[in-house]
Amino acid sequence: MEVSFGITGKGYVLVAADTTAAHSVIKVKNDVDKIIELNPHLLMAYSGEPGDTVQFAEYVERNIRLYQIRNSLPLRPPSAASWVRKTLAQSLRSRSPYSVNLLLGGYDTSDYTPHLYWLDYLGTLVEVPFAAHGYGSYFALSLLDRYHDPEASLEEGIETLKRCIAEISKRLVVSPERFKVKVVDKDGVREIEL
Amino acid sequence: MPDGSFAHPQERQFNPYSENGGTILAIAGADFTVVAGDTRQSEGYSIQTRYAPKVFKLTDRAVLAVNGFAADGNMFVKKVKQRLEWYRHAHAKDMPLRAIARLIQTMLYAQRFFPYYVYNILGGIEEDGSGAVYSFDPVGSYEREACRAAGAAQALVQPFLDNQIYFKNQQPPAGSSHPVHLPLPDVLSIVIDSFTGATERHIEVGDGLEIFVILAKGRSTQGFDGRSGVQELSTTPEGDRVFVIRRELKKD
Amino acid sequence: MNSLTERFATTGYAAELKRAKDVLGEEEDGLDPMWGSQAGFGNLASGVVKFNIPTVPDPSAFLRMHTDDFADPSCRIKIKHGTTTLAFRFQGGVIVAVDSRATAGSYVASGTVKKVIEINPYLLGTMAGGAADCQYWETYLGMQCRLHELRNRERISVAAASKYLSNLVYSYKGMGLSMGTMICGWDKTGPAVFYVDSDGTRLKGDLFSVGSGSTFAYGVLDQGYRWDLTDEEAQELGRRSIYAAGHRDAFSGNTINLFHVKEDGWKFIGNYDVSKMHYDGPDNTGGYAYELRVEGKSSANPPVTQ
Repeated sequence: MEVSFGITGKGYVLVAADTTAAHSVIKVKNDVDKIIELNPHLLMAYSGEPGDTVQFAEYVERNIRLYQIRNSLPLRPPSAASWVRKTLAQSLRSRSPYSVNLLLGGYDTSDYTPHLYWLDYLGTLVEVPFAAHGYGSYFALSLLDRYHDPEASLEEGIETLKRCIAEISKRLVVSPERFKVKVVDKDGVREIEL
Repeated sequence: MPDGSFAHPQERQFNPYSENGGTILAIAGADFTVVAGDTRQSEGYSIQTRYAPKVFKLTDRAVLAVNGFAADGNMFVKKVKQRLEWYRHAHAKDMPLRAIARLIQTMLYAQRFFPYYVYNILGGIEEDGSGAVYSFDPVGSYEREACRAAGAAQALVQPFLDNQIYFKNQQPPAGSSHPVHLPLPDVLSIVIDSFTGATERHIEVGDGLEIFVILAKGRSTQGFDGRSGVQELSTTPEGDRVFVIRRELKKD
Repeated sequence: MNSLTERFATTGYAAELKRAKDVLGEEEDGLDPMWGSQAGFGNLASGVVKFNIPTVPDPSAFLRMHTDDFADPSCRIKIKHGTTTLAFRFQGGVIVAVDSRATAGSYVASGTVKKVIEINPYLLGTMAGGAADCQYWETYLGMQCRLHELRNRERISVAAASKYLSNLVYSYKGMGLSMGTMICGWDKTGPAVFYVDSDGTRLKGDLFSVGSGSTFAYGVLDQGYRWDLTDEEAQELGRRSIYAAGHRDAFSGNTINLFHVKEDGWKFIGNYDVSKMHYDGPDNTGGYAYELRVEGKSSANPPVTQ
């Protein structure tokens, strides 16, 4: 079962995704990176139909890069989210739609604001202070209603993320054992060891 | 086949249930209870009859309204009445309201695996003289409430009652609070408005309205003695008393 | 003794009825106990529980066809579903908290359901799944617990009471009963919570949540739970967890009922409106709402300019 979380804090967005690649009842690989860096201040966690996920993520990555080359300016997070949503919405009406659910986290360097977007394969886009995809959302959303703080320091944010992971490890029958965690802030994207 | 048998296997389904429309409601006051139901009985878009009672007097202090599948409802009321008669023979008194409520639960639950398709609302006077309404699901889960609507127009009537009886989403005037119990004339107006409204907006509601009023022992008939079409049904004027008010509803 | 004489008498109502039954070949309505009140459980008192079963090849498929709103949303008999209930054991006893919403499809059939069933002054049962199944069998359990007291001159243990219920519902397995309940109480062993469901599962434990909103309740409950919670902290945790479920699960909500079981039996703590908890909190000192908690806060971190 795929699980991903996104949490905003003071000047950053934390994104975590499980690292399992599964085929029927088999774990094929347990160190998969499901969080792609789209530009120095933008990252995207993806989950959904195997095959579609990476294809779509790389398609987005290249188009975001193309925009930057053409305009010599990176796309800001709200605009990137709109473009990804539009792409998914168009895909939905095509012959073979992408079945991909996303969390888009970015730091807007021009107004110093972190942004987190929740998108699903239907083309639903919503900006949220915290988000989750998969069965993890049933456990984590109530927890985050209770514990999330928009002004939390990175250390506090990581503590809250650890609570979410601890909760699904405790309660979810097929909980993933490992998570990859990335943060985006004014200094760009980097990976965090929990 | 010539012998009347079939060449291929035939699948048959046993469906003993139907839905006969109509709506019932009950409201409890401080020392009275009002139980009402329309009298239209229909199946699909056809009206079977314009007068099929859905509200029945059980004792001098208990009235039962039944809605859903009319055949089951009539059978159920018949059996409840029979059990109450047996109780009368064994104990030489009428069964108290809360006991009738529990009896109805066990009778409905006895049919747990072949349910009566009926929604019951029991209204009347408790032993302490207070008005009470009990509502049931088809397999016997029940709850005492102040008011309840059931049947075809439940989703139309219940929000109106929530607003008018429980004062939901209403702000009391400054310096005052909402009354706990409404007086009888107000309750009767609300009941009539509920049914005229439901008749306008629901095709399965209409034709006639029967409003049963159960008054606690010693309470005067003040509140509806000016009304036309009132008939007393109580066996004795000494204890709790039951009245029925019959009115017309639109017939289209 | 009375019933013995009645059984062999040739006059009186019982004999009259027996003769009538013999003629009609009817059993259903003619059981002796039905003439009396039998605590309202007239059709059970003969010792053999008697239910009317439809005369079709597969009775449970018949029941499912007409009552299960997941298999067929257009089915006529809508059995009420949707719930959040929780119970946990801690240093100060047992906390039991439930919501009060009953739904039939997407219609809120009731917002005032009592989902805690007071079996006796020392035992509570919670209601999830079929409302009638829980209400009926837990009331019946209450009768059996009282009989246990009379026979054994001591109160039944929570373990025994829950085992009685578990065995009972297990005997109906496959017939379509639907219940997920927590039997909570205090006995010689101290505070106890048992989870019992209609599959026949019976589990002893410290903390359970049952119903459509249980995952949301677990999210808050697990993170705030400790054995050495004070009474006030424990009550607040129970209330806050049901609020969380009421907020996130559409099938749960309306009000919260909170109970606390201690050595001298259970006590009803209060009824709390979920909307009021959202905006004002239990004592008007601040709502549980996320929006209120983070009001005025911002995640932006513009550089500090001198």
